[in-house]
Amino acid sequence: MQFMLLINEDESIYDGDEGAKRMEETLAGHMALAKAWAEKGVAFSGERLKLGSTATTIRWDAGTHTLHDGPFAETHEELGGFYIIDVASLDDALDWARQIPVPGKGAVEVRPIWPMEG
Amino acid sequence: MNLAREIADARPRVISALAVQFRDLDLAEDAFADAAIKLIEHAERPERVASWLFVVARRKVLDAVRRQARQGRALERSAPVEDMADIFTMPEPIADERLRLIFICCHPALAIEARTALALKVICGLRVDVIARLFVTSEATMYQRITRAKAKVRDAGIAFELPPRKAWGERLEAVLLTLELAYTAAYQDAAGEIDPELSAEVARLAALIAELLPEEPEALGLAALVWLARSREAARLDASGAMVPLSQQDTRNWDFAAIETARNWLDRAAKAGSSGPYQVMAAIQLTHARKAFDGATDWAAVAAMYDALMAMRPGPMIAVNRAVALEKTKGASAALEALDAIEQPRVRTSRPYLVARAQMYSQLGQSDAARKELSRALAQNVPRAERLFLERKLSELAQNPRSIS
Repeated sequence: MQFMLLINEDESIYDGDEGAKRMEETLAGHMALAKAWAEKGVAFSGERLKLGSTATTIRWDAGTHTLHDGPFAETHEELGGFYIIDVASLDDALDWARQIPVPGKGAVEVRPIWPMEG
Repeated sequence: MNLAREIADARPRVISALAVQFRDLDLAEDAFADAAIKLIEHAERPERVASWLFVVARRKVLDAVRRQARQGRALERSAPVEDMADIFTMPEPIADERLRLIFICCHPALAIEARTALALKVICGLRVDVIARLFVTSEATMYQRITRAKAKVRDAGIAFELPPRKAWGERLEAVLLTLELAYTAAYQDAAGEIDPELSAEVARLAALIAELLPEEPEALGLAALVWLARSREAARLDASGAMVPLSQQDTRNWDFAAIETARNWLDRAAKAGSSGPYQVMAAIQLTHARKAFDGATDWAAVAAMYDALMAMRPGPMIAVNRAVALEKTKGASAALEALDAIEQPRVRTSRPYLVARAQMYSQLGQSDAARKELSRALAQNVPRAERLFLERKLSELAQNPRSIS
């Protein structure tokens, strides 16, 4: 079944010279993960998102909406990217999700995807 | 054995086999309940109750599945239910899937407060209102919790396979922790208002895990801990309903068969050669149980084990118990110092902490200070059995300032 791995990170860890180096390490970790999936034959897709500060949010309330500058969630940990992987069970998905590099504060949410009907 | 007991005994195996086969906890529970009713109405009692229930329940599930598959078509007559040939031709129709079901109910992806509840509901068949009482919450809250947990098992992709052995560690930790919570809820309630059937179910579940995981020393340790606590259940209240502390219990009321069972588990665990907090906690309780044979408690051993426990799993209540043991080996001043060193405000206002302090003050002859601590404890919402006990202590202090023990 398909699972989405939502990567939420405190982006401040990637600020400055040290941060740039850390970003390189993190990206290398992601590359390694993609390689492991390819080797294991795990079907996957994913994207890296630009910084939370580049987000625009449409907020709805009972049929009316307003635009907001910034991400939907008002936290220090922004959605920074996601993967969709196709594995047998939640435990397999969690095993992979644990391997996503998160050098600072953050969280990886694992959620099953509704299967397509038909 | 009466039929209700036999049905309860058969339940873990039958439900586990059904749940794993059909990957559906609700379906398994419903089919088992139907089969149990059929059995009660059945004219003669089958030789093997569990097998009979399994075959009947499985046919019920298959009928339901077929009905769903034939949506809109006229119902055929379903197969006769009591086809005993099925049972007699198969040597053992039920695969033992109990461990799988325990691992599913105690999956780390489920909310910790829902895990034991789910296990008690699905595996032991406890009613939701009974489980709610065990966890000191409302029936509606507990119902919601269990329903949510079941939905997560169904929708989150939790596998119905036994996880590979390398993954057992984390699962087992979750299993043991949830059982420990249940145990705590059942036994640290000094009120004596806990339904004895309930603590029996927690004990059964613990014994089941010890039976299924005989190579896991901490699983054996937890089972021993729970059984040792149970062994003193009959001695915990006096005739007036007041709590009787361990030091004053009549050891003739202890259940020595349960103590023996626990001792065997601990011996077996020791052979594995890796210690852990549950084994240490059980060893402490076993040391207390030895009083029935030795006439005295080896407080030096108890204090040493609390030191070990503090290193393994430091916690406020362990620190309080350690201080109480210290009093026996190093005196009340040392114990009071240890209590003073505990910083958590939640512990400093807890009854065990206040009562321990009262005990130390009275040992040191400071009966005013002791009375103050006891009054602070009594100002809380205290269960009746403990209230009676503390009130008695307070009046003893007034008459004889050094009598508290």
